[in-house]
Amino acid sequence: MKRFITIVVIALLALPMLFAQAQEESAPYTTITWWHPNSGLVGTASEELIKTFNRTVGEDLKIRVEGVYQGKANDVLTKLKPILQSKDQRDLPDLAQLDGSAVLDIRDSAQLITINELAGNEPEYLSKIVEATLNSITYQGKILAMPFNASTILLYYNKDAFAKAGIAKPPRTLDDVKTAAAKLRQTDDKGRTVFWGIANVPTTYELMVWLGHQNGLTYLTDFENGHIGAPTRVLFDENGTMVNFLTKWQAIYDTGSLANLTSDLNGAFASGQVAMILASTSNLSTIVSMVGDRFEVGVANMPMVDENATGGVNVGGGAIWAFDNGKNNQWAIWEFLKFATSAEEQLKWHIATGYFPVNVDTYELPEFKSHLQEHPLFGVASRQLMDSNPKLQGIWVPSAYQIYYAFQSGILKMLEEKQTPQAASKAIAKEINGYLQEYHLMKAR
Amino acid sequence: MKTLRATLSTLLSLLIVFPIVYSISASFFQYTDFTALPARLFPSRLNIGNYVRAFSESFLARFLLNSLLTAIAGTLLRMAISILAAYTFSFFTFKGRNALFILIVATMLLPSDALIIANFMTIRALRLTDTYLGIIATSLLAPTHIFMLRQYFRMMSVEYREAAIIEGCSDSRFLSMLLMPMSKAVILTLAIHSFSTIFNDYLWPLLVTNKTSMRTVQVGLTMMGFSEQLDYGPQFAAITFLMTPILIVFIALHKPIIESVSIRFTGR
Amino acid sequence: MIFPALLLAVLFSYVPFILTFLNSVHAVSLGGKRLGFVGLANYRRLFGNPSFHASLSNTLRFTLFFVPTNIIITLLAAVLSNRKGWLANLNQIFFFLPMAVGMSSMLMILKMMFNPTIGIINRLIGVNIQWFNDPNAAMALLVIAGVFLDIGFDFLLFSAALRNVPNDLKEVALINGANGFQIFRHLELPLIAPTLIFIVVTNIKNAMLISAPVLILTEGGPFRSTQTLVYQMYLEGFKSGNYALGSAIAIVVFLLTFAALLILLHLERRRIYYR
Repeated sequence: MKRFITIVVIALLALPMLFAQAQEESAPYTTITWWHPNSGLVGTASEELIKTFNRTVGEDLKIRVEGVYQGKANDVLTKLKPILQSKDQRDLPDLAQLDGSAVLDIRDSAQLITINELAGNEPEYLSKIVEATLNSITYQGKILAMPFNASTILLYYNKDAFAKAGIAKPPRTLDDVKTAAAKLRQTDDKGRTVFWGIANVPTTYELMVWLGHQNGLTYLTDFENGHIGAPTRVLFDENGTMVNFLTKWQAIYDTGSLANLTSDLNGAFASGQVAMILASTSNLSTIVSMVGDRFEVGVANMPMVDENATGGVNVGGGAIWAFDNGKNNQWAIWEFLKFATSAEEQLKWHIATGYFPVNVDTYELPEFKSHLQEHPLFGVASRQLMDSNPKLQGIWVPSAYQIYYAFQSGILKMLEEKQTPQAASKAIAKEINGYLQEYHLMKAR
Repeated sequence: MKTLRATLSTLLSLLIVFPIVYSISASFFQYTDFTALPARLFPSRLNIGNYVRAFSESFLARFLLNSLLTAIAGTLLRMAISILAAYTFSFFTFKGRNALFILIVATMLLPSDALIIANFMTIRALRLTDTYLGIIATSLLAPTHIFMLRQYFRMMSVEYREAAIIEGCSDSRFLSMLLMPMSKAVILTLAIHSFSTIFNDYLWPLLVTNKTSMRTVQVGLTMMGFSEQLDYGPQFAAITFLMTPILIVFIALHKPIIESVSIRFTGR
Repeated sequence: MIFPALLLAVLFSYVPFILTFLNSVHAVSLGGKRLGFVGLANYRRLFGNPSFHASLSNTLRFTLFFVPTNIIITLLAAVLSNRKGWLANLNQIFFFLPMAVGMSSMLMILKMMFNPTIGIINRLIGVNIQWFNDPNAAMALLVIAGVFLDIGFDFLLFSAALRNVPNDLKEVALINGANGFQIFRHLELPLIAPTLIFIVVTNIKNAMLISAPVLILTEGGPFRSTQTLVYQMYLEGFKSGNYALGSAIAIVVFLLTFAALLILLHLERRRIYYR
């Protein structure tokens, strides 16, 4: 009986292993997995893209693409890192859509396939991709990933509220923001704010622009924001850009019209509690649909820190990275990447989400132009980028998650504890330098 | 005084059960019901579209299968291991028995959540990521169960077993034919507890599974990706669908459930 | 026969514990290789890290708020419903029903109910509390979530313990003129003390280790005000790949939990001695 029990136990242990791996698609289809962070409206759009591909090019060439939602962009990276570190290629997805926070961790991976490699015999295809987006993902001459979901950060504002407050144009500089926010603010009879001028706690996304575009162009960290090597320290402290920004920001806060919200900003804006927010152009479709017909949505360029901050904005969003998982799918991956960045598909993607097209031909399509006529908001992001300094690039740093929080906590502390911008700038610099140095400690000797 | 007590009790219980009621109601909401201001309590119409979407637009069925398989296999293994260990510690004497017992029970002090990084590296080294075994591996040892089972078994007098052995009953027969049936209530309670612990595990399956096809329902539920746009309907439908069978079981069996807890604690 | 249990204990409890300790006193590469002994340097950096200060204080604050709140509510529920009748039965069913709802499900329901703009809670209470944007409200939300997650099981235990109080003792007390409150304090409470201690101990352990509600509800926000130790361990260990720091946090968590349990057991022994 004892033996019987032991056998049963072993059998039960073995049983799960039988079910262990999900079955692979049997030949003749080549299956490509694409890990992505697209959900909601954006998720629907990427699913549409995949379905169209599988129906057309995929059917012809016997390729099937499988999209896997892995959470936010940073979560896709979290899932990817252990597999890359275990040096076991088989578990790697063929494609992963990541954002700037992933670059430092992935760019040196042995399993990464550069776009130059994939383009192989067709390097001329790359001339169809918007140059600024390619530059934003190039490192030491190699194009690390295929631009796909390109965005810039924008100022969203409530046009009806602006009209009611008598403000004719959206703010151009942070000083304008201060004036506008103060005018827009509404309080109840107890003096509590019921309608805020602006809601935001600046973090990496906003600061890349607000620090980077000062004086035409400044870097936040050494090694050109991490584009020519791994950053070792921040520069925004010593070059005074942080202090400059914080001074202006504190002035806005002192009008009492700034709400320190970090979550559900879209919801607060759409439900009419806040007049201005800063968000990516990729939220455009979502915000417009959430607002419905409550009020008219306006979109404008990121306000400049001051009259000298002429650098414009950087390319944000993400790109699709390709990996070698030993299945020799390079040819299939390249077909899909061409499809996803084709003029037609980028047009559909742009209309469905708000990301701006990465294919230059899209801008010439008649459907694009007519859509732009009816929905002028969709054109602001790409125009803003074209007016920007092309050298203004996002930062490639490790521990992006913690750095994000370091900025937010530091700024909040300054506002709530009435610190001086100098003290706050020092504290934030110290914390982020800590993370940058930790990273160097972790690099294998 | 009595009515005050009854009123307070009822009010508190309604408060506690409110999320469940709300979930059922919200599973029928349309998109406009969610974004309506002020927020609604009841749906404008009975709309089962959410349930359809929850199943067709996500891997809900697969998540559920994964959770059920891992929870059932894990519970069976866990109980088997615990019962065998408790039995051995109760009725056999051998050198180092007490030391080994303490060794096993002392793992209670090492919470597995704190060891999650090292355990993850072990599982990865054993190439058990994205497998059912990998998901249940860290839940197979239940020191509290072994402890309780040993207490309970010891209450069965040792003479009883010796008598049985004299009668020619082998150990395994004693265990399976006599001891286990007598301990039915305790074993059942511990099994239910094991099942719900493994079924509810979140952080560990999150780390150990990468493929959507291997995700458990707890992880999969938070990754259905509907909520970006405040379109919570399908998510509520999935949640309500998941909890309904267990709710029914709990309500139907509320008497045995409540009583089995008493029996377990009489043995303390 | 005890081999499987022993193997598991060693493989998934003792070995990882030793590994975690080793990782915490070495520099560890991104790939998980130990690079060189560094003594207490990781701990020194950890204690200087403002993120860690937040985790530590938040975890302790959460434990401090959660445990008494949970005990009071669950005990109250058990005591109030410890009576006869169909209404009492209904109350009891409602009290342990949350146990039927999985953890993720309950957390997702709460997340949507407590949405400041369109959630039902703000509407019903008539306030505009920023549950996810205000640090105090977010901490309160975590406590509320914790109560909903634990109440099912704790209620069953308390209920059972109360039912074990012999009725004749209660009747004697009633005859001698004691009212309900006095009966509870001097008769029932001491008799359910073992169960109470058990629940307090498990609550403290769960509170110190809390991770899932943080992951699902608040993600450590706003401004790290709900970042707990295990959550930071997850951030450092898995998001940043900083295994050395993550392991150091793990060891701190272990020490704190261990210390809390020791203190509690010591207090229990003194109480029993008192009686």
